[in-house]
Amino acid sequence: MASAPALPAAPGTLAVIGVLWRRSLNEVVRVRGALLPATVAPVVFLLGMSGQFSRLTGLEGFPTDSYLSWIVPLSCLQAAGFAGAATGANLARDIEQGWFDRLLVSPVPRPVLVAGPILGAITRCLVPTTVVLVVGFLLGAELTGGLLGLLALYLAATAFCAVAGLWGVFMAVIFRTQQAGPLMQQGVFVAVFLSTAYTPQALLRGWLEGAAAYNPVTYVLELGRQATVSGIEPSLANTWPGLAALGGLLACFGALAMLGLRRMGA
Amino acid sequence: MPPLDAAAPAVEVRGLVREFKGGIRAVDGLDLEVRGGEIYGFLGPNGAGKTTLVRILTTLLRPTSGSARVAGYDVVTDADRVRRSIGVALQEAAIDPLMTGRELLRMQGALHALRGSEAKRRASELLDRVGLTTAGDRRVGGYSGGMRRRLDLALALVHRPDVLFLDEPTTGLDPTSRAALWREVRSLNDEGTTVFLTTQYLEEAEQLADRVGIIAGGRLEAEGTPDVLKARVGEPMLIVTVDDPADADAAREALRELGRVEPCAPGGTPERVVVRTVRGKEAIPPAIRALDERGVAVASVEVESPTLDDVFAAVTGSRLEGAAEPESAAA
Repeated sequence: MASAPALPAAPGTLAVIGVLWRRSLNEVVRVRGALLPATVAPVVFLLGMSGQFSRLTGLEGFPTDSYLSWIVPLSCLQAAGFAGAATGANLARDIEQGWFDRLLVSPVPRPVLVAGPILGAITRCLVPTTVVLVVGFLLGAELTGGLLGLLALYLAATAFCAVAGLWGVFMAVIFRTQQAGPLMQQGVFVAVFLSTAYTPQALLRGWLEGAAAYNPVTYVLELGRQATVSGIEPSLANTWPGLAALGGLLACFGALAMLGLRRMGA
Repeated sequence: MPPLDAAAPAVEVRGLVREFKGGIRAVDGLDLEVRGGEIYGFLGPNGAGKTTLVRILTTLLRPTSGSARVAGYDVVTDADRVRRSIGVALQEAAIDPLMTGRELLRMQGALHALRGSEAKRRASELLDRVGLTTAGDRRVGGYSGGMRRRLDLALALVHRPDVLFLDEPTTGLDPTSRAALWREVRSLNDEGTTVFLTTQYLEEAEQLADRVGIIAGGRLEAEGTPDVLKARVGEPMLIVTVDDPADADAAREALRELGRVEPCAPGGTPERVVVRTVRGKEAIPPAIRALDERGVAVASVEVESPTLDDVFAAVTGSRLEGAAEPESAAA
């Protein structure tokens, strides 16, 4: 048996997360216009939806008279979710091109390997989220929840981005191909669609009413809506279900992502 | 890291099997041992199981059964320690095109616990070593294939690994880049690094490897130094072409002391005299002297040695794709 020589120290978790975070930001910093589609799409969605459904606020039980204020948190969440899901597409590309093998043969714990890119996605999602908010406010959305509400909205958006990122990572390590990219985006789309995205729970009917009630994204949205929806004031009662939902989603998709990563290699 | 004990195996594989879906065995009961400080060439055609073995040894793939230890550590139960001991350059030089060479090296440093200033210093050192100092601050997307390969090698060396795995390191490279990479591999080995090299190029195995393992169908079919393997196939042939076919018998008589003279085959070339000799190229000067002493006029003298492809053909029954003609030395 080989006389094992002294091994080098284990890599520092924060240092590794830092370099992988910086690398993931290259996707937008070094590729001209890379942030444009991710920013323009939610703004267009915001403008389109607020124009088409503005009269819904006249329905009894609608908690605000500004549909724009209702839809701004949804657009923020979608923007953040798609930014998160892009982590999976980028990882699938790294797997296909062999880059991820370079990371897997390093003595870095698997969760750390995905923490950097997820943090990168969270950083990236701040741009479209903020642009959507600014456009919303410029068009007349109200900041009814003040600073606390704004914090709640950013918390909902960034944590949802992380959830979508872990979902993307799970898909990437299962399918190991960029062709799974649409599946990652669809996951976010469906999760948001089956919530109280367009109307409040009280106005939903049929199967969607049940789906939205059990969909954790509903509660994440309610958390974010404390910023702009006058009928949903910043309060513990409006906050904890969203936090619990995010905690559950992060734990669930985090575990799935780790299980998938464990399947890759020894 | 200090080099591994030369007497101890740097890589030790016992009864290794890797089965994929559908019962396909890419590695099928493999046993091998690589000593510390040697260059071990793993030779085989595409699909022979070379890359699967490298992926198991580098902890990227779990074996179905059997065991493998690298630098003294089990690749399954002690994967983290294996990862700290090895450097890996896989088949495709997977390098992020958006980053510069220097950034990639510093990042690799962080992945292997090098602190900021140390990683910075090591990056400069390695860029210099692989001749990329001037290109170091350019994005890798603009590098040529050879530059990428050299950077890939540098990345594998950041943490001064004990055992270096190179999976077909020169595939697709031009002869100049290939020669540069070979020089670097030799130099690393001179410094004590054990190198496990897979290749489908006979010349590469011959030029670099202290020992060669031939794999086909997931099994190790033959193993030894290139000379020992070639000797198993047969002795080199000294081929003398005389000016006048009438002198052929005199030539055979003159060359008898050098080895086993082959009889002239019926219907063969009468001016051609073939002698099997272990002396190979060294037999050319005495052959010329002996022929001169007997007054035999010679048109040409050449030596044909068995190649690793001959060995490959002998042990597997097929030849490697693109294998060269038998090696020859002429006078």
